[in-house]
Amino acid sequence: MKHYTPIFILLLFVTLCATAADYTDDAIRTLLPFDAIPAITDPQFVSANDAKLDADAPVIGVTFNDESHAYSLYLLNGHEIVNDVVGGLKIATTW
Amino acid sequence: MYSRELDGKTYTFGVSGKLWRDALLMYDHQTRSLWSHITGEAIKGPLTGKRLKPLASMPQIAWKAWQLNYPNARVLSVPTRDGMRENRRQDVYADYHASQRAGVSGMEYTDNRLPNKSLVIGVQVQTKDGDTQFRAYPLTHFTETAVINDTLGEVPLLIFHDKKSFATAVFKRNVAGDAWTFRHQDRYFVEDNTGTRWNLVTGEAISGKNEGKRLERLPAVNIYWFAWARYYPETSIYR
Repeated sequence: MKHYTPIFILLLFVTLCATAADYTDDAIRTLLPFDAIPAITDPQFVSANDAKLDADAPVIGVTFNDESHAYSLYLLNGHEIVNDVVGGLKIATTW
Repeated sequence: MYSRELDGKTYTFGVSGKLWRDALLMYDHQTRSLWSHITGEAIKGPLTGKRLKPLASMPQIAWKAWQLNYPNARVLSVPTRDGMRENRRQDVYADYHASQRAGVSGMEYTDNRLPNKSLVIGVQVQTKDGDTQFRAYPLTHFTETAVINDTLGEVPLLIFHDKKSFATAVFKRNVAGDAWTFRHQDRYFVEDNTGTRWNLVTGEAISGKNEGKRLERLPAVNIYWFAWARYYPETSIYR
């Protein structure tokens, strides 16, 4: 029996390490290829009056230097990032 | 929301398809470094350790409330099979939001101080000694009022959430040395202790002693507790 004790301790150690790793896991996981979700690099816009959006549709709003943009959250689900310029500021809107 | 300018250069960003701590990693087209969209920090590649400057925005608001305040707003329009669209009818992540499931990788990270899927407003401020302090404001605090007057790292803060439009904003409560205390009036309007009425979608004083003044908006996020706590485990919680 004594013979197996070191192996048991080793197994216990490995198990504990694995458990700890669950909470501090900083691994980068690949789910999809690059650009499988297409970010927007040349965004197009319509005026507020022409926008076909429901009153309660959730948007991200941004205003810089009196220029204002709105992005539908449901649209952003399919793009995640908009490379934009608002009021002269170059911004990345991320969702 | 981040500035795309860093050290005098302009970057554009794409979606890497990779996850880190259960959230999206962006990459920049110029160096292919990988960036966390939660912290704005590059974690892999030539720009590792660099940090994008966070910018203040309205992380979420009902379209009508935004349009009323910014009638000249321009709205993102995306080409689809059915022509240009400003919206999709459905939230493709609706099932995820409705479920108890936390991370998408199946890994359970739990900070038991709050339920994983509690929505919080996440705020970070720099202190005078250069430290960063983090605080989470559970949305459950905003059922009776739309504002919380708080102080974090010696910075007087005004936390605003309107449950009807889902508008969220964080402001400094002081302008040029004067700090005010705010109380909720109706919708996104509040009054400070001088009797000034403010609109917290725009951050502007619309009538009263402080009329014409504007509060400084700080970057803030609406985020699930498990994600906020995972990135910023040292965070405090507003009780």
